[in-house]
Amino acid sequence: MKNIRLIFLLMGAFMLFLAGCGNTQESGEAASGAEGSWQPEKPIEVVAPAGPGGGWDTTARAIAKLLESENIIDQRMAVVNKPGGGGAVGWAYVNGKAGDNHTMFIASPPLHFVPLNGQSDLDYQDFTPLSAVIADYAAFIVKADSPYNSMTDLVEALKKDPQAVSVVGDSAPGSMDHMQFVKAVKAGGVDVKNLKYVSAQDGGGMSMLLGGKVDVYSTGLAEATEQARAGKVKVLAITAPERLEGETISEFPTLKEQGIDDEFVVWRGFFGPKDMDPAAVKYYEDAFKQMMETEQWKEVRDNFGWTDNYMNSEEFAVFLEEEHKEIEALMEEVGLKQ
Amino acid sequence: MANKPSRWIALLLLAIAGVYLVLAYQLPEFPYAIIDSDVLPKGLGFLLIILSVVLFATAKEETAEEKEKRTIPKNDLVILLITAVAIFIYISLLEVLGFLLTTILFLLFLPTVLGYRKYGVTVAVAFIFSGVMYYSFTYLLNITLPQGIMPF
Amino acid sequence: MDFSSILYGFQVALSPGNLIFAFIGVLAGTVIGMLPGLGPISAIAIMIPLSYGMDPASALILMAGVYYGAVFGGSTSSILLNAPGVSGTVATSFDGYPMAQQGKAGKALAIAAISSFAGGTISVVFLMLVAPFVADLAVTFGPTEYFALMLLGLTAISSLSDGSTIKAMIAAVVGLMIATVGMDQQTGTSRFTFGNPSLLEGIDFLIVALGLFALAEVCQLILRRKEKESKKKSDVGNLKLSKGELKEMGGPISRHSVLGFILGVLPGAGATIASFLSYISEKRLSKDPSSFGKGNIKGIAAPETSNNAATSGAFVPLLTLGIPGSGTTAVLLGALLVVGVQPGPLMLQDHPDVFWGVIASMYIGNLFLLILNLPLIPFLAKILAIPRQLLISLIIVFCLIGVYAVSFSTFHLYILLGFGVLGFLMRMFSFPAAPFILAFILGGMMEQSFRQAMTISNGSYNVFFQSNITIALFIVSLLSIFVPIISGYFKKKAEANEDERKGRTA
Repeated sequence: MKNIRLIFLLMGAFMLFLAGCGNTQESGEAASGAEGSWQPEKPIEVVAPAGPGGGWDTTARAIAKLLESENIIDQRMAVVNKPGGGGAVGWAYVNGKAGDNHTMFIASPPLHFVPLNGQSDLDYQDFTPLSAVIADYAAFIVKADSPYNSMTDLVEALKKDPQAVSVVGDSAPGSMDHMQFVKAVKAGGVDVKNLKYVSAQDGGGMSMLLGGKVDVYSTGLAEATEQARAGKVKVLAITAPERLEGETISEFPTLKEQGIDDEFVVWRGFFGPKDMDPAAVKYYEDAFKQMMETEQWKEVRDNFGWTDNYMNSEEFAVFLEEEHKEIEALMEEVGLKQ
Repeated sequence: MANKPSRWIALLLLAIAGVYLVLAYQLPEFPYAIIDSDVLPKGLGFLLIILSVVLFATAKEETAEEKEKRTIPKNDLVILLITAVAIFIYISLLEVLGFLLTTILFLLFLPTVLGYRKYGVTVAVAFIFSGVMYYSFTYLLNITLPQGIMPF
Repeated sequence: MDFSSILYGFQVALSPGNLIFAFIGVLAGTVIGMLPGLGPISAIAIMIPLSYGMDPASALILMAGVYYGAVFGGSTSSILLNAPGVSGTVATSFDGYPMAQQGKAGKALAIAAISSFAGGTISVVFLMLVAPFVADLAVTFGPTEYFALMLLGLTAISSLSDGSTIKAMIAAVVGLMIATVGMDQQTGTSRFTFGNPSLLEGIDFLIVALGLFALAEVCQLILRRKEKESKKKSDVGNLKLSKGELKEMGGPISRHSVLGFILGVLPGAGATIASFLSYISEKRLSKDPSSFGKGNIKGIAAPETSNNAATSGAFVPLLTLGIPGSGTTAVLLGALLVVGVQPGPLMLQDHPDVFWGVIASMYIGNLFLLILNLPLIPFLAKILAIPRQLLISLIIVFCLIGVYAVSFSTFHLYILLGFGVLGFLMRMFSFPAAPFILAFILGGMMEQSFRQAMTISNGSYNVFFQSNITIALFIVSLLSIFVPIISGYFKKKAEANEDERKGRTA
C-alpha cells in the first residue's frame, strides 16, 4: 500500500513538473479577421503524416503553435502524428473524415510522388487545398574538387554516358530527391532512363558525397548552403525560378540561367478533407495569411531558412493541377509510374 | 517424434520458409537495379530451409529440464489466454471508446483476473494511471492519444 | 584548442539561469525518456516549440539536458521492465533486467547512471580534443565500410546465445526476414506489405523489442505471479556499490568510452552497434562468460558506457561537418536551427562561443544527470515492489501506449501482440531473442549498404577490396567467428587430456 502511494506521489510530481514547463494554453479573445460566417467550435486536428521530428512534423508544430499563441485561431491546434507509407497512412486517415471542418494536414510534393509510385490510392484531388505556406528549392551539389563546374558540364557528361555519374539522394527511386534531378537533366536533354541513382539511408547522402563515394547529391537548399559557404561543395544549380536573395545563396546559379528550362518548388501547405465547407476554407486561408504577417513567424521562418510562398486555396489548386500533370508525364516516361 | 519438439518446429519453419520464398518470387522486377530487391529475401528463404533441415536432423530428445520449462499448468494457460484476448479487445476498442475509457476498463479487469484482491487499490490505480498518462501525452506533450467517445 | 572560448562556454553555461535550464532539461528528458515509446528524438521534438524566442545558449543547455536525460530514462525501462525503448539500450537489458529481478534494481540503475556519466563525460573530453581530426572518419565510411561493420556486428550472434547455435542462427535469419518487410529503399519496391500502407516503412524497432522482450517477459511474470515480489523488499532501492564493484566497472568504462565514441562518430547505427559490440567484447574478455546474462556488473557497465559515449560521438559530424548522423542528431539540428545556430564546417571558426557553449552544456547536462538521478533511483527501483498482478497490467499498458505513440495506429498494436506471442513461444522452445533483434536492427542497413556499393561500382565486387578499412573489418569479422571456435576446440582437447590424466592417476 505504501508503495502504491509512492508511485502516485511520483506521478503527481511529474504532472506538476510537466505542467510547469509544458505550453500553457492561451485563452485569447475571439478570433479576428474571419469575414466568413464560419468559426471553429472545437479543437482543430492538424495531422502530420509522419513521426515527430521530421520536416512535416516540425513545420506543422511550428505553425500550429504560432496560430495558437498569436491568438489567430481561438481553439486548440492539436498536432496528430499519423506516420507510415511516406504519408499514405495519414492521407487515408484524413480521407475518412470527409466534410469535417476541424481537420487539416500538412503536405509537400510527395503528395504527387507517392500516389504516382502506386503507394497510395489518394492524391491531391481527394483533398481541399487550404493554403500554400512556404517554399524550398532543390539543389544539385558536387564535391569542391569535382571536375564538374556547372550544370552544363554535368549535363554534357550525362548526355555522352548516362552511367558516367552516380547520383545520391535521401529517398527511394521515384521519390522527390530522385525525380527532381531527373526532371532537371531531362530538360537539359539527357536520356534519363539509365541514370545511376543510389538511395542513402538516414540522411547519409552528404557524407557519401563528401567521402567521394558518389559524384552528385540531389538535396534541398538548406542542406547545401552551409557546406557551400565552407567551400566543401559546389552548388551546380538550384531549381528556383530566379536567383535567391541572401548571403551565400545569392551565389547559387539557377537552372534557367544555365540554359536548362526547368524549375521545381518544394512547397509546403495545408489541406483539409474532401467537401470542406467553403466558409471554413476561407477562414483558414485568412488565418494562414495573418499568421505569416506576424513578427514571430518571420523569426521562425528565417531560422529554419524557409521562404514565404503564400497561395490561397484557389491559386494553390491551380498550381497543384499543373504540377501534377508535369510530374505524371515525367514518371511515365522514366517507367516508374504505377 | 513425440519427444523431439524441435522436429515439429523444424517442419513449421520449413513451411514458413516456403511461403516466404513464394512471396519473394512474386516481387516485381525493377528495371535499373544491379542487385534487385528480391535477392536477399530469396537467399534468406533458402538459408532458412537449410537451417530447418539441420535442426530436424540434429534434434535431440528433450531433457527433463527443458520439458519442465515448457509445461504450463492448465490454470495458468487459461490466464495467459485471457490476458491475450483482453489485450486484443483493448486494441480493438482503443480508437472506438478512446484511450481513457479503454485503459481504465483494462486496468480494472486484468489485475482482478490475475488474482489481485485489493479492489480499492485497483480502482485508484486504473483511474489515476490512465488519467495521468492521457493528460500528459495529449495536453502536455502534444502527442494526441485517441479521444474516442469521451468529450475530452 | 582555444581555452578562453572554453572558459567562456562554461561561464555562459554556469550562470544561475542556465543552471536552472540544465536542471529542467535533465528532469524533463528523464521523465519523457521513461515514458513508453518516447526516446530522445521525440523528447527533443517536443521541446523545440518551447524554445522559440529563448536565448540560444539557454536553449542549447536545455536541449543537451533533455537529450542526455532521455537517453538515461530509456535505460531505466530497459532495466526495470525489460522494455528497451531505444535500440541503444537493448544490450543493457541483457544483464540489467536479471540484476533488477534479483532484488538489486537500485544497484543496477546506479551502475547504469555512473557508467553513463563516465562514458558521457570521457567522450565529451574526446570531442573537445579530437573532434576536428576524427571528423573525416565520418565521411571515409561509405557503403562498403558500413557493410563490413554490420557484418562484424552480426558475427556477435554466436556469442549472444548460450544454447544451441543452430537455434541462434534460425532466430537471426527470421529477424532478417522481418527486416525485409517494407518499401525497399534502392528500388522503391514494396516487399511483403500485402498492399498495406502501414507496412511500407517497415516494422518499427520498438514493436519488435517490446514484443519479444517486454511482453514475453510479462508472460513469464504471469506464470510466476504468486511468488513474492522480491525477497528483500527493503533492499530494492539500495544503490550502494562496494569498492570492488566500482573497481570492476573501471575496465569496461575505460575501454568502451573509447569504442563507443569512435563508433558514435560514424553516421548510422552508432549507439546500437556500439552497445552490442561493447557487451560482446566484454563477455569475451571475461574470465567467466557464463555469468553474463545473469546480472553481471560489467554486462551493464559496458553497453551503458558505450551508448552514452556514442551519443557524444554523434555530435562530431553534426558540429564539425553539419551532417546529422542519426535520427536524434537530425532533430537536434532542427532544434539548433530554431535558436539561430547553424552547425557546420564553419561553426568552430565563425561562432567558437556557440561551439564551446554546446560542449560546456554537454558537460553540465551530464553532471546534472548524475546529481539528479542518483537520489531518484531508490524511488524508481520501488516500481518493482508494486504487487505483481498490478505491475503486469501496467507493463502491458505501458507497451501498448509506447507503440501507439510511435505508430499512432492500432494495426501496429496487433503486430505488437503477435511479437509478444512469438517471444513467449521462442522462450518456451529455447530460441534466443537477442540474435533475432540484433539481426533485425543490422539487417536493413547491411543490405542497403551492400546494394549501394554494387550500384556505384556497376556490379563489380572488387569495390569491397579497395578500402583498407573495409578489409580490416572483414578480417576482424573472420577472427571473431573463428577464434572462439578454435580456442573452444583446444580448450576441449585440453580438458579431455586433463580428464584422461586424472583418470589415469585415479
